[in-house]
Amino acid sequence: MSDHFQDHQIRDVIKINYKYSMGGQSKFFIELMKNKKLLGTKCTKCGKTWMPPRINCSDCYTPADWIELKQTGTIEVSTIVWYTTSAFIKAIPYGVGFIKLDGAETALLQGIFSENLVPSKIRKGKKVRAVFNKEREGKMTDFFFVPEEEYDNWINKPEFEGGK
Amino acid sequence: MDILKRVAIIGVGITPFKARYLDRTYFELAYDATKLALEDANKNGAEITHKDLHSTVYGIYNELFERQFMPDIFVNSYLGMNNKPGTRVATGGATGGYTVRMAFAEVASGLSDLCLCLGLEKCNDCYDEQTGVTTPEVLNAIAYSADMTYEYPMGMMAASSYVSMVNAHYEEFGNPTEEQMAYVSMKNHGNAILNSKAQSPMKITVEDVMNSRIICYPFKLLDCCLYSEASAALILASEKKVKELGIEKPIWITGVDAANTDCFIGNREDMGRLYSNIYAAKGAYKMAGLDYNNIKKQIDLAELHDAFSGQEVISYEELGFVAFGEGGPWIENSFEKAGEGPWLDGELPCCPSGGLIGCGHAVGATGIMSTGEAALQLRGDAGKHQVHIEKGRAISHSIGGPGAAYAAVIVMTNEEGLKK
Repeated sequence: MSDHFQDHQIRDVIKINYKYSMGGQSKFFIELMKNKKLLGTKCTKCGKTWMPPRINCSDCYTPADWIELKQTGTIEVSTIVWYTTSAFIKAIPYGVGFIKLDGAETALLQGIFSENLVPSKIRKGKKVRAVFNKEREGKMTDFFFVPEEEYDNWINKPEFEGGK
Repeated sequence: MDILKRVAIIGVGITPFKARYLDRTYFELAYDATKLALEDANKNGAEITHKDLHSTVYGIYNELFERQFMPDIFVNSYLGMNNKPGTRVATGGATGGYTVRMAFAEVASGLSDLCLCLGLEKCNDCYDEQTGVTTPEVLNAIAYSADMTYEYPMGMMAASSYVSMVNAHYEEFGNPTEEQMAYVSMKNHGNAILNSKAQSPMKITVEDVMNSRIICYPFKLLDCCLYSEASAALILASEKKVKELGIEKPIWITGVDAANTDCFIGNREDMGRLYSNIYAAKGAYKMAGLDYNNIKKQIDLAELHDAFSGQEVISYEELGFVAFGEGGPWIENSFEKAGEGPWLDGELPCCPSGGLIGCGHAVGATGIMSTGEAALQLRGDAGKHQVHIEKGRAISHSIGGPGAAYAAVIVMTNEEGLKK
């Protein structure tokens, strides 16, 4: 064996294609795509409202019913991302946060957009409202949240629209 | 719970934590750590080889790093461990701590008298072609651990996940402040200067941390650990084997516990704390006969999971060292005061090895390195970063996974500590 180590590297990629079934959660994505509705679920026993929706309540092992939630809510916690994964690095800086929709008990992770993306604009307690892409695919990226005072500006942009 | 057998750490093997090993594959790194652990176990005259080990528990987090699903079976082959049981554990950043827990269970249950507890990770073979560096692709490989339907599409990643908890804690208690987090970075990078196996030894100031580039508000570059490549191995033995092999300084594992909190941060009642840490700590302390409310006075050191500086501060509270809301002031007010705070010469040194911020984070290896480091401290064999051992007890702590949902805490005791 030679004393001098010489390294060798190969290029490779792992790629898998999916046609992924959303199972019992399908209704959430269909209503989002077709009707711009945000559906949560409510446990038929304990009454807990789940968002993201679960068709069964994980607390009491009872089926949950679909309910329509308001499209306004409050930021529970947020951050602005300045360095990120290869899949999102072209999008920096971007805001993400956990938003409790009015009437829900759990908070939903979503993108928070703002014309002036600074921490104070998207802090805890800030009121936000959902804005939808005009072209929707039935995915979480079909909508995002903006500070309530910016809502009108956002829905007037050609690629976006307001909810119901 | 009734533990059938007492379990000791009799060998510790840790490879250097490095940004990249071009001269080692993941299974070759595993071999190096295993060999070091066997040499350590044999230093008082025992003559065990890999052939004497009854079983292995493998801690390997991410298949995408290793470019190999089920990487453990390839390690198993390379280590010459064929025809024996080998089980893999994968619990995100908590993989190491959870692997120690399962290896403990192998020996405590009587399934194995000599168990290899092996962690490894080699992340920087991931490569982002668009930026020409590894890190964004490493972060992408990690991001697949987030919920693929609701979280990954939002650009969620490790830092934004941890920062959510730290920001929620700040909203509730007014700390940790950015300066208080910077003290953690300064401490752990500084401790790493004394640890020859650490990837990021640095003598830095609070200002250096504050001036480093923003990663994820309010985390700056120096608040974050670097992803690392390494392997760490422990050899766990039953009491019978400890006596048979004439092990002079066994380190007894006296408490183990783990808990998973909700991986969806938005489902948690209090976003500003990790109940998994609280449950794991309380359970492990109870098993070891220690008191959660008085733990700071009952242990000599803690190797914590400081993936991000702010999380170390919150861990001071969740693991019972200080009351909720007092973690930030605890480190800030004790700076340069000997015998106080979490500093190397403090009342409870936290991350004397440098932790993840100082050593780097080789995910599957990290919690095993932390546990091994704590064991070496209790033996008095830690080297230049040796802390004063008086009570004979230490803890290691691992957290990780989506929303840092997994947590594990291990309590260790030397022979003197058993008598106290």
